[in-house]
Amino acid sequence: MIGSGIKRGTAELAVLSVLQDGPLHGYELARRIEQQTNGALRFTLAALYPMLYRMEQQRWIRGTWETSANGRRRRCYRLTPVGKKKLSPLQREWAELFRALQRLTKVAHA
Amino acid sequence: MPNWQKLVREHLSGLALHSSEREEVHSELAAHLEDAYESLLGEGVSEPEAAKRTLCLADDWQELRRGIQKAKVEENPMTKRVSQFWLPGFLSLLLSMSLLMLIQFFGPKPFIPSRSSWTMIAPLAVIYIPWFLLLPLIGAMGAYLSGRAGASRRLVLLSILFPVLPYLTFFLIGFPIALIVEEHVTHNIMFGAFLAGLVAWVFLPAVALLAGGLPMQFYFSRRLTQRGVPSV
Repeated sequence: MIGSGIKRGTAELAVLSVLQDGPLHGYELARRIEQQTNGALRFTLAALYPMLYRMEQQRWIRGTWETSANGRRRRCYRLTPVGKKKLSPLQREWAELFRALQRLTKVAHA
Repeated sequence: MPNWQKLVREHLSGLALHSSEREEVHSELAAHLEDAYESLLGEGVSEPEAAKRTLCLADDWQELRRGIQKAKVEENPMTKRVSQFWLPGFLSLLLSMSLLMLIQFFGPKPFIPSRSSWTMIAPLAVIYIPWFLLLPLIGAMGAYLSGRAGASRRLVLLSILFPVLPYLTFFLIGFPIALIVEEHVTHNIMFGAFLAGLVAWVFLPAVALLAGGLPMQFYFSRRLTQRGVPSV
C-alpha cells in the first residue's frame, strides 16, 4: 500500500488521467482509480471530495448534475480545457520523479 | 437500506455554505455511499456487512467537513471576499442611494413659502426622515447577504456600514481638500454645520443601519453556533 503523503500528490494526476477517458461521477471515479491501480489508490470521502471541489475551483474539472437511465441524479465530473492543459506537465513531472527514484534505488542496490 | 441522505446531513449539517450548495454536497456524498453500498450488495456481501464497509468510506466526518469547507470557500479567497463583502456592501450602497433619489423624485413636494421657517425643516422632514427610517432594512439586507455567504463578524459589520462609507470619506478627505483648494468654502464654513453634516450623514445613518444589521448578524452567529461552526 502506498503511503498517504505520496497518495495526496498522485491523487490529482489519477483523477485527471481517469477523466481523460470521459465524464464520471464520484463513486465511479474512485472505483475506476482503485481498479486501475490494483487497489493501491483507494479513496475515502474525506480524501476524494475536498480534492474534487478544489480541482473544480481551479477549473481543472467541471461537475454537473445528470440523470442516469435508472432515474438517479449523480454529479458527473469532466475534464475542462484547463485540466487537459494541466495533465501533460503533471504526467511529465511524475514520470521524471519516478525515473529519478528508479535510478536512485538502482544505485543504492548496486 | 440505510438512509444515506439522512446520515450525511446529520454529520455535515455544520458546513458553512449557501444552503443550496450544502444540499448539493449532501446529495452528492449520499449518492456515493448509496452506490458503494449497492455495489457491495451486488457482489454478494450481506446487508449488515455492506453497510459496515460503506461506512468505512466516511471514517472521519470532521476531516471531511473541514476539507470540503476549505476547498469550497477558503481556496478561493477572491470569490469569497466578493460574496462576503463587496457584493453585500455595494448592493446596500446602491439601494440606499436609489432610495434617497426615489424619495426626492417621487416623495411629497409640499409648497413652502420662501420666507417661512419651513424652508429649513422641509428637506429634513420630507426626504431625510423617510430615508433614515428605511436604513435599518438596508442594514439588515447587508448583514443577511454577508452572513449567508459565511462572512466573519468584522466583514458583516463592514457590509452593514458600507452605505455610510462614501459620506465618511467625503467628510474626512473631500471636505478638508475643498477647504484648502476652494476659497469660497474656506470663508463660509462653519464648524457647527460641518458637525451637523457629519452627524446627519454618517453617525445617524450608521446607527440606523446597525439597528437593522446587528440583529441579523446575531441571528446568523446563533445559527452557526447551533450547527457547531465557530464564528470568527
